[in-house]
Amino acid sequence: MLRHSAYFTALIETKIFRRTFTFYSFHVPKSVNFALRLIYSLLHFARLMKYETVIGLEVHVQLNTKSKAFCGDAAAYGAAPNTHISAISMAHPGTLPRVNERAIEYAVRLGLALGCDITRDTRFDRKNYFYADSPKGFQTTQDSHPICVGGKLDIEVGGEQKTIRLHHIHLEEDAGKSIHDINPKHSLIDLNRAGVPLLEIVTEPDLRSGEEAYVFITELRKLVRYLDISDGNMQEGSIRCDCNISIRPKGETKLGTRCEIKNVNSMRNAKRAIEYEAKRQIKVIEKGGTIDQETRSFDAQVGHTNNVLRSKENAHDYRYFPEPDLSPVLLTDEYIDTVQKNMPKLPNEIKQELQLVYGLSDYDANVLLEDKDMVFFYKEITQHTKNYKAAANWLTNVIKSYLNENNLSIDQFALSPKTIANLIGMVDDNKLSNAAASQKVFPELVKQPDTSPLELAGQLNLLQDSDAGSIEALVDRIIAKFPDKVKAYRNGKKGLLGMFMGEVMKASGGKVNPKVANQLLREKLDNKT
Amino acid sequence: MLFCTQKKCVFFQNVNTLQHIQANLKAGQTTLTNIVEQYLVRIEETQDLNVYVEVFAAEARQRAAELDRKLAETPNQIGRLFGVVLSIKDVLCYKGHKVTAASKILEGFESLYTATAVERLLAEDAIIIGRTNCDQFAMGSTNENSVYGPTLNAADPTKVPGGSSGGSAVSVQADTCLLSLGSDTGGSVRQPAAFCGLVGLKPTYGRISRYGLLAYASSFDQIGIFGKSVEDVALLLEIMAGEDKMDSTSSRKAVEAYAIHTDYTKKAKIAYFDTAINHTSIDPDIRQQTLAFIDRLKADGHRVEAVDFPYLDYIIPAYYVLTTAEASSNLSRYDGIRYGYRHPEAGTLQETYEKSRSEGFSKEVKRRIMLGTFVLSAGYYDAYYAKAQKVRRLIQDKTKEILSEYDFILMPTSPSPAFDLGEKTKDPVAMYLADIYTVQANMTGIPAINLPLGTHKSGLPIGIQLMANMFEEADLLAFSKYIEQLNRQQV
Repeated sequence: MLRHSAYFTALIETKIFRRTFTFYSFHVPKSVNFALRLIYSLLHFARLMKYETVIGLEVHVQLNTKSKAFCGDAAAYGAAPNTHISAISMAHPGTLPRVNERAIEYAVRLGLALGCDITRDTRFDRKNYFYADSPKGFQTTQDSHPICVGGKLDIEVGGEQKTIRLHHIHLEEDAGKSIHDINPKHSLIDLNRAGVPLLEIVTEPDLRSGEEAYVFITELRKLVRYLDISDGNMQEGSIRCDCNISIRPKGETKLGTRCEIKNVNSMRNAKRAIEYEAKRQIKVIEKGGTIDQETRSFDAQVGHTNNVLRSKENAHDYRYFPEPDLSPVLLTDEYIDTVQKNMPKLPNEIKQELQLVYGLSDYDANVLLEDKDMVFFYKEITQHTKNYKAAANWLTNVIKSYLNENNLSIDQFALSPKTIANLIGMVDDNKLSNAAASQKVFPELVKQPDTSPLELAGQLNLLQDSDAGSIEALVDRIIAKFPDKVKAYRNGKKGLLGMFMGEVMKASGGKVNPKVANQLLREKLDNKT
Repeated sequence: MLFCTQKKCVFFQNVNTLQHIQANLKAGQTTLTNIVEQYLVRIEETQDLNVYVEVFAAEARQRAAELDRKLAETPNQIGRLFGVVLSIKDVLCYKGHKVTAASKILEGFESLYTATAVERLLAEDAIIIGRTNCDQFAMGSTNENSVYGPTLNAADPTKVPGGSSGGSAVSVQADTCLLSLGSDTGGSVRQPAAFCGLVGLKPTYGRISRYGLLAYASSFDQIGIFGKSVEDVALLLEIMAGEDKMDSTSSRKAVEAYAIHTDYTKKAKIAYFDTAINHTSIDPDIRQQTLAFIDRLKADGHRVEAVDFPYLDYIIPAYYVLTTAEASSNLSRYDGIRYGYRHPEAGTLQETYEKSRSEGFSKEVKRRIMLGTFVLSAGYYDAYYAKAQKVRRLIQDKTKEILSEYDFILMPTSPSPAFDLGEKTKDPVAMYLADIYTVQANMTGIPAINLPLGTHKSGLPIGIQLMANMFEEADLLAFSKYIEQLNRQQV
């Protein structure tokens, strides 16, 4: 056995492993084959387990300011190409930047929420590089005096709390977009995005797995949405990140050589890219190779990272220097206090409110908090109904699964909070059964959101009869119809109540209020004894 | 009726300040239309000097007619610059007009907006008659580095007018307009003013908005003014100065009434540097006349003292490291992608950059871009850029210290009178060194002015330079006016 595993470790080093393995399996009994497979997996696992992955992230969050970072052009996403551009966005001769004060405020907001030190004289620098979608030939960014320094974000992975320290946060502008796949001969440039403000959140190398990175970005995204400084929309590129990854033997304190994966556009891809890259690096090291510091890109289709730039041979020298066209921005204590006072509520505060004021469970509160707009929707429902628990149930179950199935977000949801409150009210008033409301009325209502729930329930013939008089007549009819069963019931076969209920419901077409019917049945059956 | 057929025009000699022109206009002795015609004739006559890159003749005529009507119909609504006809350097944006920085890279480029400074002049009823030749992207001290060829000095057409705002200087020198706007990054207004015998002001950094001024070195650039009288220059400054939301480096400091506040009755405390007056590069006649001027000031009761300034020889190297660094980045936008010159045979992005920029920029501009790129590069940054910034700081501190004790610093403007054409083109370092007296004001941001001092033994004009503390333009201009009168008495 020992001889075999030794043989195997040798084989692992070669690419012909699989073929050899199959070949081998012809000669060994199945059980041995299985054992060998198991050993291989264990060895592989052990090999991975020898190493620790060290990750630092640079997360770019696009701010949702009305105008761009350094000029008055609209910053909105989705306009026709090159319509949000002026002489300044196009870097025409003689134009100068000026700082968007709202972008500064947003940066301070995030800094305060993450416990950063706010830099009192924050400055801008130029990062020089040529590219067709970089109109000035440099990016206005912050290098020596970033607006926020330090800070931390707590994350929870596998039930354990972990603190991720931040190095700094800086304010910068986005580039335009180069489009290479529309015209076969030319690349097209859209400068609408050029100059849109970004915050770059740079972490310390505190993350240890793709999963942690996933959770970190998720939490950060949640936070910026609560702070109302970004829409956090991954599809529109509002959040992108660069992942710096290195590996080192467990117990080692020195950092390994890192590779940077640029421009990863989703949490899931960040996780995949990190996991792939860590495995790749382990493979290289295990083979006795070394890691070159390089920039890589992630191919989301195949799930691989690919080299794009080898730093030693072809490093970008960005020639950072202080931006002479922008004076340092001086932030006073009063200013920072004002920003602090006007901070929107953070998830933790809202959670407390949900639990204390609305009496929600920890679970319900957490589900709602995942999405800021969900919380807002919830609060709006509660403006129209006092049944807080039902409102939470509707959102976390019915509405959430509907949105998931149709790949929609809550702000794309057709029904208003008031309509949902109406539905809840109808159930509470016994006009509609809960099941009919959620399974019959709701699916129809989302198709015709302008119809009132009451009208629709009427059309669907689902309105319950709660009028005791008419139900009583029905109950009497059923009782009269089954004298034998009545006798049996009165002789102790109390289980027959279910049968009577079934008959009443059947006769009414399911429209009578079951509570009322049940009560009446019981009264009539029991009273006659 | 005034006629102006000879090279030296009687009209312009007699009526050479705005005050006179406005008086004549209001008295109905002439019209703006008439004045514009005279200037257009002068422009025609002085074509050989290669002053203008473009003359806005039709537009100037039309505006003059409109303004004449305005004077007739609503005389109390005319602007403070009614009667001012001026030229602007080809680095200032004027909506709907071409601006090229005398470079092929901006071939055919038309500005979408008007520079704040120009906008403010137009709002006070000034007329812009054309844009003037200059060194490409304001880089040069001779006006020879222009895609349009050199401008010639009207005092002697075998000489350069100085640079980089040479065209602007000669436009005033040759009476083709009353006043002109230039830009001054290291002396580009004061040195040509000295070479052409004019008043040339570089205000405090941040006093005039730079919005719409094509950048050479952003932390040094300032729009400057050429004129024949201190009073006119003061008025133009007063109107252009002040905060501009489009330029975050423009100062919020209130603008003083520079044009009115021009009587200097105090006895001034003036510093000069021995190292400057006795510098190896100084022309002996300029040295002698500067010393004689100092004696005259002393005789008039002012305290003029030599002070120690140990950094004179560090000024030029530090200045060229910092300005080229900023220029290398400022000029990156001229890439052939969105506007201006694109090489017709460029296929790929890389080729577009390489070919358009190689052909679009002049040799001197490319030299400075490369120098600036080098001093900012990894591995050289600390030795050059960072060190030059420290030198700048030392010079700023020392200058501030001197100006806390003295009202003004006095210096020659240039170590020599106007160069021969072609004299400095072969040796860029020699050209750079000729900026020795002017760059201190740009390094430190303080205001500085050239005033005509007299005539060199060669017959060329020479100037004297005065610098004052930050935002002390009112004092600087008042004292300048006093010197103007002192010189007049002398003549």
